Parts: sequence; structure tokens; C-alpha cells
Amino acid sequence: MKTASRPPFPFTLLWVWLVRILPAWCGIALLIFLMQIAVSSIVHDNANVRTFLAFLDMLPSIVKTALGGDMLRPGHVPALLTIGYQHPFVMFLFMLFAVGAPTGLLTGEVQRGTMELILSRPVTKTQVYICACVLTAGGMFALVLAMFLGTVVAVQLYDFGEPIPLDLFFRIAINAGLLASTFGAFALVCAASFARLYSAVGIAVAFLSVNYFVSITAEWWPRMHFLRRATLFYLVYYSDLYSGWPLRNMGILALILLMAAVAGGIVWHRRDLPL
Amino acid sequence: MKARDQSSMKAVEVKSLTKWYGSARGVEDVTFTIERGEIFGYLGPNGSGKTTTIRCILGLLKSSGGEVRVLGERIIRGRATAHARIGYLPGEFRIWGRARARRSLRILAAMGGRDHAMARRRELAERLELDLNRPVGDLSKGNRQKVAVIYAFQHQPEVLILDEPTAGLDPLMRQVALELIREAAQAGAAVLLSSHDLSEVSAVCGRAGILREGRLVEVAPISQIVQQGQRRLKVWFVDETLLPDMPSADLPDVRIIERQPGMLHVAYHGPSDAVLKWVAQFPVDRISTPQTSLEEAFIQYYRQPGAGRRPGSSGTAEGGRA
Repeated sequence: MKTASRPPFPFTLLWVWLVRILPAWCGIALLIFLMQIAVSSIVHDNANVRTFLAFLDMLPSIVKTALGGDMLRPGHVPALLTIGYQHPFVMFLFMLFAVGAPTGLLTGEVQRGTMELILSRPVTKTQVYICACVLTAGGMFALVLAMFLGTVVAVQLYDFGEPIPLDLFFRIAINAGLLASTFGAFALVCAASFARLYSAVGIAVAFLSVNYFVSITAEWWPRMHFLRRATLFYLVYYSDLYSGWPLRNMGILALILLMAAVAGGIVWHRRDLPL
Repeated sequence: MKARDQSSMKAVEVKSLTKWYGSARGVEDVTFTIERGEIFGYLGPNGSGKTTTIRCILGLLKSSGGEVRVLGERIIRGRATAHARIGYLPGEFRIWGRARARRSLRILAAMGGRDHAMARRRELAERLELDLNRPVGDLSKGNRQKVAVIYAFQHQPEVLILDEPTAGLDPLMRQVALELIREAAQAGAAVLLSSHDLSEVSAVCGRAGILREGRLVEVAPISQIVQQGQRRLKVWFVDETLLPDMPSADLPDVRIIERQPGMLHVAYHGPSDAVLKWVAQFPVDRISTPQTSLEEAFIQYYRQPGAGRRPGSSGTAEGGRA
């Protein structure tokens, strides 16, 4: 039997998709970057911190839990700076990219009808999927680096009265990147499985939202503490990151990420696309 | 297995192709081949399985059974086998609307390799009178179809799979598109032309396959398909008031199309002998045998199962030059 040669990797498709998601990525990265500057501008002044914490105390206690809980207190600058990393707005921005990029690229092309043209060229389905994986994971890590860069710039702009352990924020950023990429990989599974963009986005958003709210509720409500381990957020627990690189948790996250990405790839490859 | 001799190799080989969508039949046991340089018409009403066959040939769908080879390479879903050598024009051509036509075509040409089609693209755009600098979304339906034609032909493929290539084109541009198809075949490309426009199929195709409810009911040269349809006879009698009754018991396969005093127009299947003998009973002034068109032959395949079907026809055939 004559064996077919594997088509070369479609760098053109990778470039086209990169150009397509770049404006959205730049907007999200800028907002996340500015968020770190904004948080730092509040945190560097103890008077501002007290006002801010007093304001938080007026809100339902779950809001404070969502921003860091009891670790938020005057003088505890690193914990206060991490508000910029776990603020619901920042989470929303990450979610936007984690869900939007893979579903927009894969399901979007299928729904638009252009996937039929792409697959009629010398491009395998696996290569198409790998392009979406690379852009999703790469985009997520680039976003967390923008977030870390925001902290680095803020440290140069403001005097916090104590040295800021940037290595801690780098660890947090890398772990956040792993977590975000894992959610991105789950969104890839959804993108590979559903014909309609709304279905893929809906399921991915539901998975992410449930994880987030279970994590917050478990932290806030003592009777629900047992649920903390049931969410992916537990694997990037703030206190674990203080002491050093949480290699075990990072390994688990990387494994889940890999398994989700491979599962999505298998579904994508085995499924007849609704062209 | 030894590599096949290039010259004897069929460009497209479809063997017992079957595709089920759950319990719904797409196509069943479809077999045909297309040689290099041949234009093969692929006919059938809506939902008969034409697009399913095409997508299986391209490896966009996984077949439930059978085998497809293009240029000697076995097609496996999603593997893009031989796709660099295939030109495809989908029935519904949807491309990125915001991008200019030139950019979209360049992107698609460059996928899986370098874009070597610039000169050819320019030539095709000139022949089709299309401005490639306009965004595809701003183009009329006809002009978008021209983009589709350029997309299929720009990399000078060895196999062309065209689903309704002239849909939406004006008559002049239709002729240009048909010329492009003929030129490609003359240059050695194998062409599968799926179309509802039977005049177009009979104009360019040497052979055609007819699908009905997912099954290939005929694969034959166009001339043979036309002949296998009903034959027609128009008779003018010497006596202009004569209105003979057709003995339906003796001539069960004869159908009266038109009956006027002094004139009879009938259609029939099979040998002409019985009809002519019956007509010869009356003084005949003149007779004519109107040509059955491909369209009429095609309609007969759908009017009644088995009508127009060659006795012993298995629905398979080997290729012949266009």
C-alpha cells in the first residue's frame, strides 16, 4: 500500500489564528496589567488599605473571602497584592480568554463553515487541534506573565515600605497559568465535542463557574470546608505557594491539563464534524 | 504491495463506499472510478448522497464501509491524504468575510506548504473578471462563487472535486468556468462534477453516475444514459383526421405524450420493432424521433424505480476518457 506523507505543520493557520485572537488578548492583558497597578496604588498606602478593608467589612463576608479572606490585613503587603491576582474581575478576564480562544477557534470555524475549507487543504485534523492548543496554552501563560509584569512595574512605581518577594508572585503567576491553561484545556474538550458555539461556551463557563463558586463557598462556610479539595482552585492554594514551588500540585495540574487536552484531541479526531 | 504504475492508476477509486448517519443512510455501496483527464458527472436529487460521497472522498467524513483512494493513496478521515493535489469547490462556499479575497485565497493556498499560486490566481481572477482586493463579505453571490472557483483551481490540482461549480454565475462566467474545467481535464486532471444543471453536465462530462436514495443506480457514458431513457416517436398520418387508439395490452411500455388528429407522439422503452409495426398499419406521411435530453433521462430515473435502468446494471463501471 502506498503510504501517504504527513503534511507539513500549518504555520499559516497558526499565524492566521494568532492574528485573529491577538486584539482580544492585548485588551485582556492590558486590563489585567492595569489591575495590578491599580491594586498596588491602593495597597502601598496603609491608610488606603484600612479604608479599603473597612469597605470590605461592610460587604457580605463572602466578598472578602473571594479576595483573600483573613490574609487581608494592614501591613501584610504580599497578601494584599494578590488581590490583583484573584479579583473576580481578573478571574473573569482569564475565563474570557480560556473559554473564548479554543471555542472561538475550533467551534467558531466549524459553525462559520470555514473548517471545511481548512480541512480540504493539506492540514490534518490533529494539526488543526494542536494549533488551537498551542494558542490557548500560550495565550494563557502570556496573560499570567502580563499579570506578573504588572506587579513588577508596580513595585518600581510605589514604595511599599518593605521588600516585595517577586519570586513569590512569579510562583503564583506560573501556577495561575497552569490553572488557567487547565481550564483552557477543558474548554478545548468542549470545543472539540460540540457543534454549536453556544453549547461549547456554555458548558465550559459552567464548569469554570461551578469550580470558582464551590471554592469560594468552601473557604467561606466552615461546614463546607470538605469541598475545598473538590475544585481545581485548591491546587493553587495561596498558603502553599508561600513556602516554595508546590511541585506536587503543579504536577497534578499539569497531568489534568494534559489529560484534558488529549481527551479533546481524541474526541476531535474521532468525530465527524458537522460541516 | 507494490507501488502502482502511475499511468494505469485511477485518479479516484471509490469501492463499495457506505456512510450511515446513525440509522439514516447517507450512501450505500457506491462504486465508481475516475481516470486522469476524465470529467465525471455526479448526479442526483437533493439528499441523494452527493455531498456525503464528496466529503468521504476528501476524508472529511469517516465512511461506515468501503474504501476510497485518490491518486493511489487510501483516504483516511482527517489525515489530509493527497490534499495538496486536490482542488475542492464546496456546494456552499463560506470563507472569512472580513478578509480581502486575495488574502483569504493566499492563506488557503499557503496552508500545508508555500503559496506557489500567485500567478495562476491572478490569471484566474482576470479570466473571471474578479477584483481580488475587495473583502469577500462585500461581494455578491456570483462574485463569491468566482472566489470559490479560483480557490479550487489556483494550485493546479491533479484531482478536482466540484460541487455545483457554476451556481450563481452569469451565463458568460459559466462558460469561463466550464472552459476551466475542460482545460484542467485536458491537462490531465480528473474531475468529479456534481451538478443539478444537466445541460452543463452533458456539455462537459464524458460519463456520469446517477444516485438515487444513496445508491448509485447508473454509471455510464452520457450518450448511453440518454439512450437508455425513453425513446420517442412522432408520427404524422396521411389522413389528417385519423386518431388511432393505442392497443395498451399489446404495447404495455408505450406511453402517449401527445395525441391530435393526424399526429401521434409516443414514448416507449425497449426495442422499436413493436411500435413501428403497429404504426405501419396506418398510412404514414412522415415520422421523427425527437432526441431525449439528459434531463428527461434523469427524471425517468426518479419517476419510477428501475425505469431507464440497464438490464443487469450493477451501478458500477470502469472509467473511460471524456
